[in-house]
Amino acid sequence: MLDSITSLDLLGADILTTLLFLPSLGALLLLAVPAEAKQAIRAMGLLFSGATLLVSAKIALRFDPATPGISGFRVDYPWMESLGIRYQLGIDGFALSLVVLTTLLTFCVLLVAAGQDLQRFKGYVVSFLILETGMLGSLVALDTILFYVFWEVMLVPMYFIIGIWGGKRRIYAAMKFFLFTLVGSLLMFIAILFLAIQHQKTTGILSFSLLDWMNAAKSNAWALTPGMEALVFGAFALAFLVKVPLWPLHTWLPDAHVEAPTGGSVILAGVLLKLGTYGLMRFALPLFPNATMKFTPLIVGLALVGVVYGAWVAAAQKDMKKLVAYSSVSHLALVVLGIFAGNAEAAAGAIYQMIGHGLTTGLLFMLVGVLYDRRHTREMADYGGVARQVPVTTTLFVIATLGSIGLPGLNGFIGEFLILAGVFKVNVVWCAIAATGMILSAIYMLTLIQKVFWGPVTQPVNNGLTDINIWEFLGAMPLVAGIVILGVYPGPVLDLLKPSITFVLEAARLHP
Amino acid sequence: MPFPVSDLILIVPELFLTAVALGLLIYATVVSREKEGAIAWMALAALVLTGVLLFVPFSSVTSLPQIGFAGMFAVDKFSLFFKILILAAAAVTILFSLRFIGSSPYPGGEYYCLILLTTVGMLFMVSGVHLVSIYIALELMALSQYVLAGYFKQETKSIEAAAKYFVLGAFSSGVLLYGLSLVYGAARTLTLTGVAQALAASPKAPLFILGIILVACGLFFKIASAPFHVWAPDVYEGAPTPIAAFFAVGPKLAAYAIFARIFYSGFGPGSADWTVIVAASAALTMVVGNVGALMQENVKRLLGYSSIGHAGYALMGFLGYGTDFGLPALMIYLASYALMTLGAFGLVVMLETKGYAGESVDDFNGLARKNPTAAAAMLVFLLSLTGIPPTVGFIGKYYLFTSAMKAGWFWLALLGVLMSAVSLFYYFRIVRAMYLVDGEGELRWKEEPAVSAAVIACLAGTLLFGILPQPLVSWAKACLLN
Amino acid sequence: MITLTHYVGLSFLLFSIGVTGVLIRRNLLTVLMSIELMLNAVNLNLIAFSRQLGDLNGHLFAIFIITVAAGEAAIGLAIIVSLYRLKGSVNLDDAAEMKG
Repeated sequence: MLDSITSLDLLGADILTTLLFLPSLGALLLLAVPAEAKQAIRAMGLLFSGATLLVSAKIALRFDPATPGISGFRVDYPWMESLGIRYQLGIDGFALSLVVLTTLLTFCVLLVAAGQDLQRFKGYVVSFLILETGMLGSLVALDTILFYVFWEVMLVPMYFIIGIWGGKRRIYAAMKFFLFTLVGSLLMFIAILFLAIQHQKTTGILSFSLLDWMNAAKSNAWALTPGMEALVFGAFALAFLVKVPLWPLHTWLPDAHVEAPTGGSVILAGVLLKLGTYGLMRFALPLFPNATMKFTPLIVGLALVGVVYGAWVAAAQKDMKKLVAYSSVSHLALVVLGIFAGNAEAAAGAIYQMIGHGLTTGLLFMLVGVLYDRRHTREMADYGGVARQVPVTTTLFVIATLGSIGLPGLNGFIGEFLILAGVFKVNVVWCAIAATGMILSAIYMLTLIQKVFWGPVTQPVNNGLTDINIWEFLGAMPLVAGIVILGVYPGPVLDLLKPSITFVLEAARLHP
Repeated sequence: MPFPVSDLILIVPELFLTAVALGLLIYATVVSREKEGAIAWMALAALVLTGVLLFVPFSSVTSLPQIGFAGMFAVDKFSLFFKILILAAAAVTILFSLRFIGSSPYPGGEYYCLILLTTVGMLFMVSGVHLVSIYIALELMALSQYVLAGYFKQETKSIEAAAKYFVLGAFSSGVLLYGLSLVYGAARTLTLTGVAQALAASPKAPLFILGIILVACGLFFKIASAPFHVWAPDVYEGAPTPIAAFFAVGPKLAAYAIFARIFYSGFGPGSADWTVIVAASAALTMVVGNVGALMQENVKRLLGYSSIGHAGYALMGFLGYGTDFGLPALMIYLASYALMTLGAFGLVVMLETKGYAGESVDDFNGLARKNPTAAAAMLVFLLSLTGIPPTVGFIGKYYLFTSAMKAGWFWLALLGVLMSAVSLFYYFRIVRAMYLVDGEGELRWKEEPAVSAAVIACLAGTLLFGILPQPLVSWAKACLLN
Repeated sequence: MITLTHYVGLSFLLFSIGVTGVLIRRNLLTVLMSIELMLNAVNLNLIAFSRQLGDLNGHLFAIFIITVAAGEAAIGLAIIVSLYRLKGSVNLDDAAEMKG
């Protein structure tokens, strides 16, 4: 049945191209819909993001985990021929898992938006659809220039999502987000150009393809001196670590998260941050194995600081959204730690945690948004004992929290356990510090629940609080399902990731 | 210097345009004020026809390049590339001007003739391969421009712009000429090929070095690069908006073309030391233009500073001298710059109803709600100016940075990207005004088909060449200097 | 004996005076005259080189420059007159509506 639904591949295009441009096609068609026709806009948004979700599901079903390298559904056409820039796409288990996460979260966000009363609704849906193309493109592009193009395409819609539908300081936050990410990515752009020139000079082949570059990196055929490699690695790492964001590059994140509308926060935390860690594993590590080795102590150090710092600051927050934002800083630092620990377990845990964090934090932001929509405040003190008024929200929130703090049986446990187990093999002290962060996270998350949901009703206003509505519920359910399934049945996903991890670690000469 | 009469065939397009311009000048004296619109349409038709004439294969002009008039005038593909862009820029300017001039208290007849004449100057300029022909063409272009800048002669700003433009323009011509006279003294000839040969024989002659520096300074004035950029913001702000748009594109195209010709075919082969001067100016220009733009409230002025910044980027193309990237990078960038700058100015034209109203950044407030299409178009132009894909501005910057890096100027490329990040601040002030701020009061907005058509054409080019740049790239590469 | 060096030296002197005049004088008429001085320095250079090289091109260039300079002066004066009508002054410092 799935095949028959999604066989409407765009004009006979291949499946990855269909996946990429289905959302933009929707955005384009939406431009023709008058802004007043909210029902039609809603339907179109759901239709196209839903269709994209189905296409990604189809890819997931058809994908053979045994495919070597990044060669699933490979597409390769010349794009700017004289420059050697190609329209080259491909997918592996790692990218696939994030692709499904992206399509799922976008669909859920639009479901939730369907129940909200948003100003300029059409622009909202269009922004998310274009953003989806940008995110998916960054995940499946194999040509570095193509990757860069999609990477930048993400910026503008997110700028608008924060800037138009955000809170009080939205303009400041939007600009800060844009600028931080742009500076990082422009340096990466220069590094990409440099590598292409160097590659051509030494091998005679003008290519921007990641695969060609990985071959060159394997035997250092492109003759990078250690100094050059360090600089280029630095440029790539900076672009990605800003996105993650690793302490001390994280300062844009709390602003962006607090000001962004619910959907923006969900996508930001759920997907955009993961693109940073994705980029590290896809580009920075395999291309510059020596520099990776050299910089590992520094980055691990920053990640350890990030784990504890994020958790510590989160514990001090009174604003729910800020708390979840800082918890992301902490969790993502743990993911970075897992990536740079350099063994297969930690790397598997890192990827698993990326997916898991996307689901739990996405859900947390969604539910904070539910409360905010009703009370227009995110201060914990303004709630208190609302469990009786909003039982469904409370239940979902508790599930998300337990997933986030790593309760066995839910997704967070597996990711964190694998990371810690992997890190333990490398360095016990690192592991101990990281574990501290985990313990702190349990403390502040449970405190949040206690302050907001349990106990007596402290504010009379909250007596009239209405529970989650049907759209919001529909948007939250897939995430809950994901949290539970990933928690109790991790086997298939881990099997899917295994070849990718081996591939990355081998290229980075960190033998698994 | 005798030359065969058949050489006249080489300049048929230019002769045609001159004839039309002079004819229209006479017609303008007899036609009534109400019917001046016809002159604009005739001028537009003349520009289109000139473009067609460029491609008519006259019997003797079948194989390019052709050099005529005793080595003064070259018809080659390089000049064709620039001529097409210049004619397009002039045509867009006329479309911008229809209502702008029609509703102003100033007669339109001479205005359109001056646009045609300055265009003729540019056409001759890009074909000039002799120091005399380059100079005369440049002056034809510049003299018409001084008048155009001050065309609103009752407006202080306009006359002020004209005065500043005139003083600095004439001054830069003087500097350029002095440099040319020294080059003549050293090279004993006025043709660029002759200069190249003489320079190859004695590359370190002091007269040459001083001459090259002065010529570079004179040209830096014309392309508004630092430290000779001070006139640009004032002139862009003061001149009538369509003229500011034209100034930001047309003269720059022509000036870059002769810059390339003089430095590539004249000074290039003998000594490439001039790249140091160009690199220094490029760095300074990027910083001055982009930082200067940060503080501007007036959109025209902001675009003026931004065009200074872009002059800095474009200079990086010259640094690629000797690599296969320099000149194509410059040409591709200029084409992309023309598209996005004209488009952005077009929206400023639409926002003004009369004179100088509607020029501040705040006048864009709330545009996204009142006219989403226009706001989206402006967004695309601004993204392109910032250099964000998938727009043509990204392709242009891609080439320029690669060119600079291939020539070994890494720090300059790095500075370039940092300045691109700075430029985000001021370009996005307009985006912020359009999308994030709610406009109070009514928006001054005058939509008209002529301007819309021009803007749509620029928009199509900006997006199309941004996604599929191959045609533009191939065209530029086919049109290199040989 | 007057040699080429003398001519070039004089021309350089004239050119420097012209440049200085443009840069430090604020009266537009003086500025215009300074620009003319610069152009004449160029002409002197061209003629001197032309004479020394026995090549007529320099003469030709000088004549063209004289012609164009006349046109330039006409337009410059026209602009100065317009400015005077509006501002009652031909001082560049008074033309300072636009800044920044």
